[in-house]
Amino acid sequence: AAQLAAGTHKRRKDWIKLIYNSSLSPEEIVNGQQSTDKSSEDEGDDFFQVKSTHAEDPDVLDQGKEPLDEESLKKWEDEEMLDSIRNLFITGAEAAAEGEG
Amino acid sequence: MAQPISFIHFSGHQHFRSRLVLSILSGRHVRIDKIRSEDKNPGLRDYEISLLRLLEKATNGTIIEISVTGTAILLKPGVILGGTLQHECPLSRAIGYFLEPIIMLAPFAKKPINITLMGITTDDHDLSADILRTVTLPHLQLFGISEGLELRIKKRGASPGGGGEVQFLCPIVKQVNTLNFVDAGKIKRIRGVAHAVRVTPQFSNRMIEASRSILNRYIPDIYLYSDVYKGNESGKSPGYALTLLAESTTSAIYCAEAISEAGVAPEDIGLRATRALLTEVEKGGCVDQKHQILVLLMMVLGSEDVGRCRMAEPMPKTIQFLRDIRTFFATSFKIVPADISDPNCSQLLYSCYGTGYVNANRTLA
Repeated sequence: AAQLAAGTHKRRKDWIKLIYNSSLSPEEIVNGQQSTDKSSEDEGDDFFQVKSTHAEDPDVLDQGKEPLDEESLKKWEDEEMLDSIRNLFITGAEAAAEGEG
Repeated sequence: MAQPISFIHFSGHQHFRSRLVLSILSGRHVRIDKIRSEDKNPGLRDYEISLLRLLEKATNGTIIEISVTGTAILLKPGVILGGTLQHECPLSRAIGYFLEPIIMLAPFAKKPINITLMGITTDDHDLSADILRTVTLPHLQLFGISEGLELRIKKRGASPGGGGEVQFLCPIVKQVNTLNFVDAGKIKRIRGVAHAVRVTPQFSNRMIEASRSILNRYIPDIYLYSDVYKGNESGKSPGYALTLLAESTTSAIYCAEAISEAGVAPEDIGLRATRALLTEVEKGGCVDQKHQILVLLMMVLGSEDVGRCRMAEPMPKTIQFLRDIRTFFATSFKIVPADISDPNCSQLLYSCYGTGYVNANRTLA
């Protein structure tokens, strides 16, 4: 959880500037600026050499739901994690808020 | 701003639906090209063409031109008509794909819409009929669209065979209310719908039981309902799913869903949905990520006043949507951290000055 908190702290972005005054793709804004180069993995055997500029990926669906990320759901197997959001429910004591916010 | 004759130009197949919706609402002509032009199978997919057909039906005077290769379209929007409609959705996408844009347009139609859509009611890409009914429609109520707003799930249809049927009724409004939603409150109750079609109804109960094993610790007000559809009403393919929603004291709603998967026990589907719900709850805000676009759109269309909403960080498609909104309506949002004193809080406060959009299609009573 500490690592998680550090992550959110570091990523305090200037959203207005990123959205309206930058040429970064939405994915780049969300995931940080490292341009995810997929070029290394599909070298050679592809006859069609699909020019994959990330945003043009034909497999990306215009969909209403985001796919569930099995890995990120695993954190809820932990009792402590389950307890950490207790303060978001009406029954949760205010005191619990100190730990996670 | 540009003259009405000029086209707004986009490239690529992404954000297709929201761009069509923005075009129709704003009356601006749109040209989208390079639609999968580099793909082995270039051009529009069958469901995209079906959506264009649907929009053609729901409007009057819309002109859609599709290039020979299908990689470019031209849309000259007409007026939103509404009325009684029917649409057979292709089985490549669920009904949610088609209903989402309709929900955005329907309040601004000439006549109240009464549309019957047939196809798949629940799949893993699009908002299911259950989410649309229990979560999406309440979001419209935030903007004063409520009387006569209804989604009836007449038949369920799982992927791949479909066979489901839903009926969507939406009133028309002159203008939408300005939103001021900054207090997310605390969660007071959890609701859920489990359904199982063409499999033993016991699966519903097994999902519910698994889900309760986690949720019972939080609050007592939990009601998970096993929705039974039989015979002709249960579609053509087997499938089951659990849809969960958590509602806060200020009526913020978080939702999650998991659907059946080959080789996975119903208990695990139940747990998956539950954990996904907790993830949404943890993200917090007044509107969950699945509904960011809908809420932002209605905020832009709101009366000429400042609308505010507290939400989690934008998703990639939300970011593009914000950019597109500026292109169509010349309105940008102010987005600032919701809670500056708390460095761990990643929630943001979105605000904008409404454009004062008036439903000009509405027949004067």
